[in-house]
Amino acid sequence: MAKMVRQFQVENPDVQVNMQIIPWGTYYDKLTLSLAYGGAPDVFILQAARFSEFASFHTIRPLADLYASAQPPLTAKQFAPVPWHESFYQGVQYALPLDTHPIGLYYNTKLFREAGIVDQNGKAKPPTNLTEFLDAAKKLTKDTNGDGQPDQWGFVITNQHSNWLTIAHQFGGDILTPDGKHGAMASAPCLQATQLMVDMIYKYKIAPKPEGVDAWLALRQGKAAMAMEGIYMLASLQEQPGLQFAGAPAPQFGPKQGVWGGSHLLCQPVGISPEHSRAGWRLMRFLSDHSLTWAEGGQVPARLEVKRSPQFTALPVQAQFARQIGYVVYDPQVPRANSLNQFVDPAIEAALLQLQTPEASMTDADRRINQLLARP
Amino acid sequence: MQAEAKALDSGSVSQSLSTRSAAGGRSGGWIGWLFALPHLILFFVFLLGPTVYGFFISLREWHVLAKQHPFVGLANYQAALSDDIFWIALRNTAYFVFLVVPLGNLVSLLLALGLGQVRRLQTFYKVAFYMPVVISIAVVAVLWQWLYNTQVGLLNLYLGTMVNGLRQLGLPLSAFQPIPWLSDPHWTMPSIALMSIWWGAGGNMILYLAGINNIPPDYYEAARIDGANAWQVFKSITWPLLRPTTLFCLVFSVLGAFQIFGQSYVLYGGGAGPGRAGLTLVLYMYQQGFSQYEIGYGAAIAYLLFAIVLAFTAVQFRLLSNREESRS
Repeated sequence: MAKMVRQFQVENPDVQVNMQIIPWGTYYDKLTLSLAYGGAPDVFILQAARFSEFASFHTIRPLADLYASAQPPLTAKQFAPVPWHESFYQGVQYALPLDTHPIGLYYNTKLFREAGIVDQNGKAKPPTNLTEFLDAAKKLTKDTNGDGQPDQWGFVITNQHSNWLTIAHQFGGDILTPDGKHGAMASAPCLQATQLMVDMIYKYKIAPKPEGVDAWLALRQGKAAMAMEGIYMLASLQEQPGLQFAGAPAPQFGPKQGVWGGSHLLCQPVGISPEHSRAGWRLMRFLSDHSLTWAEGGQVPARLEVKRSPQFTALPVQAQFARQIGYVVYDPQVPRANSLNQFVDPAIEAALLQLQTPEASMTDADRRINQLLARP
Repeated sequence: MQAEAKALDSGSVSQSLSTRSAAGGRSGGWIGWLFALPHLILFFVFLLGPTVYGFFISLREWHVLAKQHPFVGLANYQAALSDDIFWIALRNTAYFVFLVVPLGNLVSLLLALGLGQVRRLQTFYKVAFYMPVVISIAVVAVLWQWLYNTQVGLLNLYLGTMVNGLRQLGLPLSAFQPIPWLSDPHWTMPSIALMSIWWGAGGNMILYLAGINNIPPDYYEAARIDGANAWQVFKSITWPLLRPTTLFCLVFSVLGAFQIFGQSYVLYGGGAGPGRAGLTLVLYMYQQGFSQYEIGYGAAIAYLLFAIVLAFTAVQFRLLSNREESRS
């Protein structure tokens, strides 16, 4: 991002950009306070999961006039449909979508070859459905030092939230009912998804219990063969010396396609001066036009011409993950989406740690979600 | 009886403070107020003002981003009381208080008693035991996170070595299974309590030590002449004469323990721990107010905690004043 902004400055010397990079841990605190009490930046990023919250309180500026006056024009045709759709809240467009960042399957090609999971050319062959996945994961789970405990795992659950939402959507479930008014985590499809994740740990024994294990580190260190993680984690694997890995679309476990993703959405604060707004739009437009640089860091660009460019399709992992862009699903688009996670994530964890049965933990979550949604 | 009252006068910090300020008010007139003014301003602006304003907020539906904050009466309180996570947080907090207050005070007392016997290097030990108190909880939690690590933590390493050593000596013990200190919900609160005791024991130790040093040596001398053993001395002299200090320490430990926040916040990265076992009331208040930005709801939780702590304090002060009355 810093590189892109520097380039923008060179090409647009009349616009002064002061960029601030804030870690995600404190980002929303700072942004929220600046939007509520003043001092908000002229251009900022919102993640898809937080977008509706800020839009619902009318803290971000509708962008219809800027899109309308864009030269050369910028329309839906230039964007992948899912992130484009995401830039609207209740029919009003509030954002310029920069990217989509779905999770996907990272797999250790060396371990795959050693286990004989290869195609005709002898190259590691990633699983595409549940049967292939379980088959591969069983072959890849090994007790190499003979102490009766596996020390190499076929699969690790590195992010319960994104993995659960992916599998739940593949079975046709979601956190909320389609009208967004009630919890739906105890619905049959969600329970099926939860049970499958529980079974991976306790029945098929292909994944470690998510307790006291650094699952991502296990993948990095070659002690786990597969994980479903975000495209944005790519750099972390590339840093690992000697790790041989590749990326593929997330396997399809249920009857439907679906994969959890997020988006970085470029927004402006409400109440911004027309002059700053126009200058900000030039920056936003520039970032969108040059999103290949952004994508190299581990993103799928929202702009179709960038996504189809030879430079992007040459990025091995990004291009694989980008194959999923048509069926990416987000967190629920309701004003209280962020607050839902205080019930969603602990419920998933409780089921995976067998603190509760999937039915009990999901029913608890639904009850709490309903209570929250009913609150003033 | 007289000796007890004397010990109370010199040993009880709260009493000596209140006596002094009352005397200042009588003799100084407006000059006294002038001296108190800087503190009063700070007190009103940064403590009383926000506290009252917090109550005002708790009666409203107040999202940080919202432009309007409609009055909702007691709806936030009602919502909190029917929110089962609020009760989980309260139960966890009560469990923590139950673990930390008696055990922590016992450790502080034992340290103070031990230090009372030390002739050489007493200051060194005092500083050493007091040291954790001055470390920020964030540092303590990060340190203990490593000690508690299930796979590579020092605590499991030592326990494992110890158990294996005992097994080699022929004791019928089963092989050591690493304890998931922070990742098993049953261990969560005891682990946090142990860490908190290590962190805070030095503070009360100083108070107990002051209390012990204020016991006139004649009593011990008399006891020695009568041939009392160490336990009898403790039971009949130290413990009863230390009671005001003990009560003071207990009251303030309870107040402090109810407000536990930093431990879980740092250990679980702002989360609630496995199965919400690390969720405490202040942490829940923080999550609602500053992560979900529902500060009306957060303020209501804060006031409920305030009511609980107030009730506890009232009971404890009642006990304290009863004791004083019975002595005078």
